[in-house]
Parts: sequence; C-alpha cells; structure tokens
Amino acid sequence: MIVTANGQETFFSNSKWLYPLFELEDFLKSNTISADNLFLTDKIAGKAAAFLIVRLGFKKVHIELISEGALAVFSRFLVDVTFDSKVPKIQCATEELVKGNESPDAVWQMLRRRAGRVSGLSLSVESLGIAIDGVLVLDSLDLKVGKGDHVFIKGDNGAGKTTLLKAILGILPISSGRIQIGDWQVGTSEWERNRSVLGYVHQDMVKNNFPISASEVVEIGLAGKRMPSAEIQHRTEIAMRRTRCFHLATRSYHELSGGEKQRVNIARCLCQEAKVLLLDEPTSFLDSKAKDELFILLNELWANEAPTIVVVSHDDQWISLFSGKVFELSNGKIC
Amino acid sequence: MLELFSYEPVLRGFLVLLVAGFTFPITGVYLLRLNLLPLRFMLMHGALLGGAIALAANINPFWTTILVNLLLVWFMAQTARSLKTDMGYVSIFIMVASMGVAFALISLFNVQAKDTMSLLWGSIFAVDNWQSVAFIFISLAILAFHFIFYRQLKAVFFDTTIAYSSGVNEKLIYNTVVFLTALTVAVAMKLIGALLIDVVIILPALIATLHSRSFKRVVLWASLWGGMFSVSGFFAAYWLKVPTSSAIAILATLVFLVVYWQKKVSSKRGLSNVKRL
Repeated sequence: MIVTANGQETFFSNSKWLYPLFELEDFLKSNTISADNLFLTDKIAGKAAAFLIVRLGFKKVHIELISEGALAVFSRFLVDVTFDSKVPKIQCATEELVKGNESPDAVWQMLRRRAGRVSGLSLSVESLGIAIDGVLVLDSLDLKVGKGDHVFIKGDNGAGKTTLLKAILGILPISSGRIQIGDWQVGTSEWERNRSVLGYVHQDMVKNNFPISASEVVEIGLAGKRMPSAEIQHRTEIAMRRTRCFHLATRSYHELSGGEKQRVNIARCLCQEAKVLLLDEPTSFLDSKAKDELFILLNELWANEAPTIVVVSHDDQWISLFSGKVFELSNGKIC
Repeated sequence: MLELFSYEPVLRGFLVLLVAGFTFPITGVYLLRLNLLPLRFMLMHGALLGGAIALAANINPFWTTILVNLLLVWFMAQTARSLKTDMGYVSIFIMVASMGVAFALISLFNVQAKDTMSLLWGSIFAVDNWQSVAFIFISLAILAFHFIFYRQLKAVFFDTTIAYSSGVNEKLIYNTVVFLTALTVAVAMKLIGALLIDVVIILPALIATLHSRSFKRVVLWASLWGGMFSVSGFFAAYWLKVPTSSAIAILATLVFLVVYWQKKVSSKRGLSNVKRL
C-alpha cells in the first residue's frame, strides 16, 4: 500500500491483512496529517478495508483488485475510486463479518479488536461466590468480558454490584470461584505485582478532608511506579489535558463538582495506564450535563485506547446511551 | 542563659528535644490521617506498662518501653488479623489491659511514687548517650520513610482502595506507620512523659492541619510547630522554673487555641461574605 501527496510518496507498507491501514492510521495520527489531500493506492480491498479507508478520511483511492461490496462502501461515502479489476467478493473471513451497512466507526472498532489493537485486557469471572457476614452476596456468578469491550451491570441497591467490583479488584476475599484478568488470576503473587492494570473509580467519591489538589489525585495513578518527577508531571499533564481537566490542576480536589471529580478520576486511571476500568455508579453525584460529558469522555477513551470498561450503575437512562452489553445482577447472579 | 549549655546533660537534652520536636510530629500527621488515635492511646499506656515493668524489675525503662511497645504492636496486628477485626478495637483492649497490669506491677513491687511520677512527666536531662543515638536513629528513620514513600503515603492518605488499585503496597505503608509510631511514642515518654506525649506528636500536627491546605505544607508546618514548641518550651521552662514538658504543653495548647479561634473567625467571615453575595 502506498500513500502519496502531490505525487510524492509519504507512506508505504508491505504488511499483511488490514495491518497497513492500522499502521497508516498511526502514521497520520502521530504526524497530525489529514487524509483529505492524500492519494492511496492498494493491491486489494474488500468491504473491511473500504470502511477503514473511508474512516481515515481519504477522498481519492486506486485499488488494483476490488470487491463489489468495497465499491458500494466507497460510493456510499462519496470516495473517488478507480480500479483495475472487480470481483463479486474477496475470499477472506473478515469480509464475511462486515455487512456493508454499518457505520465506519463500528466496523473499525470490530476490526481493531480482531487485530489485537486494544489496550484492554480480558476479564473472566467463573463461579464466583462471596459471603459477607455469613450472607451469600454473590453465588456462582459468571461473567466474561472480551479485550477492549465495555459492559454495564445494572441491579437494585444491595444487589452486590459494588461487591463484584471489589472482588475483581482483589480487596474482598472470595469464598469460591476464580477471577482472571488477562494472564493473571486475581489474588496470586503475579497479580499483586501487576494489579495497577485495574483503574477504579468508586461510588462514594472521597469523603475525607485530606488536603490534595486535582493534579495530585491524578498523580496517585503513578504512586505504585518508580519514575522521575519530570516524567510524572508530564504524564499527569497529558492525562488531564485528555480529559479536559488540566485547568483544574491546582484546585483543591474537594472543592470540585461531581462531574469535575469524575474527570479527574478518569485522568488518574489514564495516567495509571489502566487496561481495565471499573466504574462504580459513576453518575451518582452528577447532574444531566455532567452525565452527558462523562458519556462523551468514556466514548472517547474507548475509541482511542479501548480499555476494557466495566460500569455498574442503576441509571438505566444513562446506560441506554451506550452500545455495550448490559447485564443484570440479581439474586447474586448475572442474568 | 547560654551558660546552661555548658552542662552536658542539658545540652544533650536540648539537642534531643530539638531533633524530636522537628521530626516526631510527622508521625502525628500520619496518625491523624489514618485515624489511628486509639493506637496512640494504646502505645501511651504500653509505654507506661514498659516503664512499670522496668521499675519493678529494676532494669532500664527506656529500652524496656521500646521493647514492650513493639511487642504490643506486633500482638495487636496479629490479633486483628486472626480475628479479622479492626486494629482500633484490639488497641482499646490492649490499652485497658496494659494499664491494669502496669498498676498491678507498681503496687505489687512497691515502686516509689517518685519513680512512677518520673514516668508520667519524663525528663529531658536524664537522656544518656545511647538514648540520644536512639532518638537520632528514629528521627532519621521517620525522615527517610517520609521522603522515600512520599507519593505512596499521599495515595494511602487520600484513599486506601484507590492506592491499592494504583499498585501501592498500602499494607506495608500502614504497618510501617504503626511501627514508627510505636517507636516514637516509646522514646517520647523519656522526654516529655507518658501523659504529655500528644504535645510533641499530635498537637503540632493538629495545628498544622487547621491552617495548611496541602499535605506537603501540613507536614512542614507540623514539623516547624513541633520544633518551635520544643525550643520555646525549653527556655520558658528555665525562666518560669517549671518542668520542660509542662512548659511545652502549655505553650502548644495556647497556640492551638489561637489558631483554632482564628480559623473559626475566618470561616464565619467567609460564610457571612457568601450570604452577602
């Protein structure tokens, strides 16, 4: 695959499958180049490649061997395409997965997961049982969350949603079953060494009066890692800018609004480079504007790093805004 | 005035008081932040028990109180872990038991009232060379712990669950705080006595918490207040012909009241401004 600008080659890749397009995405992003005025030439393109090319913003492409499905995608998004030969379909498993009427974002997200280009780790909860003061709160609970997926767990107050998250975190002793995050089983010594892959935003906020600024809260994400203070400051600033809360850096954390606190907490998880985010009732203290902002922020996060996100909430209206899977926790089990 | 320092015990006592005054309040900040006030009561009573054992057995009270307090902390941690209960509950039990055993020992072994009083009030002039080394060692340990684990401490004080999920070994931090506090309380008894240990550990931290808005400043001010109380208390005691411990205690209490009153006034003023707006 070759990309040119005014006849000059700017990008080239010989990789297989759809990887050249992912490499191109990284190249354009890191060099902040717009694809509007670039010209892309590739040997072969099916529907999947067509969607990725459209999503990158190309307006002019030349494909040597194109499928009819890809042609339909290009014409649907008004891309000026030329080709040498056309076939009804490309013999590739990925081609079967793309219908052709999805949005480019949806196809990109699906393909990105297949390409392993998500930062999230898989989460697997098997036959989990937890008893608190002799009462069985979670009973043979099973839950599987794929790499980079986002899922929502709803349930009544006291259904055990927070207990489940605390068990995943490894701070509640489990009576039976096992929890696996990526390659690590929660509770093992390997897990203890790698537990910062989990980012946690809890329900209660922080109620103590410990004098701390917003940027210091974000820095906590790096408290378990050894690094020079300049690096800490740099990472903190990037995380805060990404969650649009850098202007709050010197403000006391306790004086922030509920929505601002959530931004700071998500920045903390970003700073930590958490691969799995556990959000416990994140909308509890938010007004409708702050809820909308949190929705946008989580979607941005998911679109970029694609961490695995598990949200427990009983805010049905807010959950319905997302496209992720929704589970119900009832009688100690996931339905 | 300065001729005082020509006496070695006075100079040594003053220097030890100065070192402790600047560093011990740092553990006070930890105790306040982790809400470990019952632990400090336990350690104060543990220090009394150590003193009572030493007086009854006619051995060195300084090292005995250190040993007893470390054993009590170990016992408390083990009991809390095996009973799966809060350390605070266990510390209350140990506190009462320590006091009971201490008084029983004092009574059974006919310990002189004067000696018992020396445990309660302490004396900076009775610090020997080895004890001075212990003070300096503990002060350095507090400073080293604070600077090496500063970021982890901040995370634990903010929220233990978040600290844990960030990869901080919050149990290590907690246990080290408890261990350092045990040492601090045990040796502070020698300087200022069992009854007034709070003056060098908690009061400076409490005053700093009232007027500082960041963790760094709380620790800095706690240390400064502790040092200032020690120096001014030392000289005030000389002029007023009272024990150093009581001079420091009265001075610290007065400063605490002034700062507390000032905070109250300024918060009321702030409220009335808000109302006007």
